[in-house]
Amino acid sequence: MNFVFFAMFLILLIPIYEAWQDEYIWQKMLAFASIATKTSIMILFISVLRDDWMIGVVGVIILSVGNAALMLLAHVIRRMNEL
Amino acid sequence: MSDEFYVVAIAALLPLTALMLVLQVNPYNALVIRGILGAVAALVYALFGAADVALTEALVGTMLSITLYAVAVRSSMSMRLGVIAAEPHPDNERHDIPYPPEPLLSALRHMLDQHHMRLERVAYPSLPALRTALRNKDIHAICIGTETNESALLQVDHTEPYHIQTRLQRLYELMQKDIPSTMASLSYVQPNTLESAAIASADSQPSPVEGKL
Repeated sequence: MNFVFFAMFLILLIPIYEAWQDEYIWQKMLAFASIATKTSIMILFISVLRDDWMIGVVGVIILSVGNAALMLLAHVIRRMNEL
Repeated sequence: MSDEFYVVAIAALLPLTALMLVLQVNPYNALVIRGILGAVAALVYALFGAADVALTEALVGTMLSITLYAVAVRSSMSMRLGVIAAEPHPDNERHDIPYPPEPLLSALRHMLDQHHMRLERVAYPSLPALRTALRNKDIHAICIGTETNESALLQVDHTEPYHIQTRLQRLYELMQKDIPSTMASLSYVQPNTLESAAIASADSQPSPVEGKL
């Protein structure tokens, strides 16, 4: 199981590198979406690994709220480019 | 032992993303990186068993704070340029703002882009309304065409097709550096004494290409 978690960690590094080196804002937003989803899936994986329902519920809430934050931020940035 | 390694590797992401956030220059990019930092922080907190802290970080630290900061940055980092509203053209249904013309507009946008700001045009019906708005600090600068008879009120000379008057010293310095003097004349006016406008204009005559603007 630790091997799976290590693979998840390595996959998480890819969008972090992308967010670091790309200056274009929508590429950064894509990387943010990727990281937000990946981290919440990792939280869900931890909850299954430890059989902890409290962390599991928090992981589900973070998975949904992360998308809401992304939509709000994307809307503000899109309005900025229109004006 | 190997279990320890994963915890350390995940926890090391937190200072890594924090460093990315601190080194970011553009405020909008920094907001996105702040969201990434919040997601990584929530993961680290959940890994250490603090589910309540992870939930608070995701809800307040990521969602609420970046939304509020995005609105704050968007409304503060802009230059409000007042222009006189166009008469609706008979064969053109679009009620767009006639000036500043596209070359001047793109020069202004290019200047503001270097400082991560954006240009916002605000249309007013007449020149007195423009000056009142400038005096009331509703707008940062006004742009008028010097061919119009309203420009006589501002005592600008007619060598340049357009005239930009600002009440901010910093904006005036930036425009002096980056706006070509053949495109528009600039003037800085003290915020409290709007009448004593110091007009700085170049001596060069506009070439026919610029005269058409």
